Amino acid sequence: MKVLIIIPAYNEEKNIEKTVNDVVKNTSYDYVVVNDCSKDKTFEVCKKNGYNVLSLPVNYGLTSGIQLGMKYAYQNGYDIAIQFDGDGQHQASYLKDLVKEIEEGNANIAIGSRFVEEKKPFSMRMLGSRLISLAIKLTTFKRITDPTSGMRAYDRQAIEAFVSDASLTPEPDTLVYMLKKNMKVKEVQVEMKEREFGESYLSPLKSVKYMANMFFSIFLIRNLTRKKRVG
Amino acid sequence: MSVTLRAILIVSSIISCILCIKKIKQAKLKVENAIVWMLGSFLLIFMSIFSGVVEWCATGLGFEAPVNFVFVIVIAFLLIEVYLNNLKITELNEKIKDIAHHIAINEHENDEEKEKNNG
Repeated sequence: MKVLIIIPAYNEEKNIEKTVNDVVKNTSYDYVVVNDCSKDKTFEVCKKNGYNVLSLPVNYGLTSGIQLGMKYAYQNGYDIAIQFDGDGQHQASYLKDLVKEIEEGNANIAIGSRFVEEKKPFSMRMLGSRLISLAIKLTTFKRITDPTSGMRAYDRQAIEAFVSDASLTPEPDTLVYMLKKNMKVKEVQVEMKEREFGESYLSPLKSVKYMANMFFSIFLIRNLTRKKRVG
Repeated sequence: MSVTLRAILIVSSIISCILCIKKIKQAKLKVENAIVWMLGSFLLIFMSIFSGVVEWCATGLGFEAPVNFVFVIVIAFLLIEVYLNNLKITELNEKIKDIAHHIAINEHENDEEKEKNNG
């Protein structure tokens, strides 16, 4: 199957080389860097190294970056698209496990999860993760241990959903939508690193806003997604 | 309704109509957008001139004072306008995003073509 790795990058000049090298060295899949109009030299670094890069003329956020990657995957006939962070937290060697789940037909969406086998630690961040897990459980009866993981593989059906519905984001609420549409979601144990350079976009206020958005979307919007009839 | 209030409503409505027409002439406002404001102004003028109608409606609906009825109409009108504006902003936002995506994909194709020609 044709696999595309989508690497969204915003101001990642220090991390992007390492990420792409990791992807090229440890996988045989195609990749595309989506440069979300970075203010630093991310684009120059990509060009210098001859990376396959899509460059947005205006900054539109992570969601738009992933949506652009999905459009690219759709137009170029890819069967699987993987969302992979450009900040060096994800390790490409785990991607083949995600792809395997989809290739074998076990899942439409495979998530690289930190907590399938390992315990979730008790921190503020993980409290958010737990709450979202609970919300997903209440709405879909499905246990997702690491809903906020940014490492997800989508099959062709999910790619098509992304291309045709601009309201879908690369966030946990989309998982609820996909589950309601009778798609299978499977988690695969992976390890993630702490980021080395640059800063995470999560500040306390943003976290609260994020949680509010997620709860609103999961309970009031995605929860009411019309179920696809079986058979 | 007091005469003062009616006078204020009429004057402000006329001013807003004049502003709308001026902006249309300067091409800073589209006719289809201005029409809503004009209609709103006409409604206010109508309510000021025929204040008997307002009083009749207000008593019928159980408002304590006719002026409250005027306020309710104005607030409802504004809320609907804000809502429609919000829809419009979202639509424009999506359109700009689509254009940005289109540009990114096009540039990528152009680059690939250039590389092919050079290689």
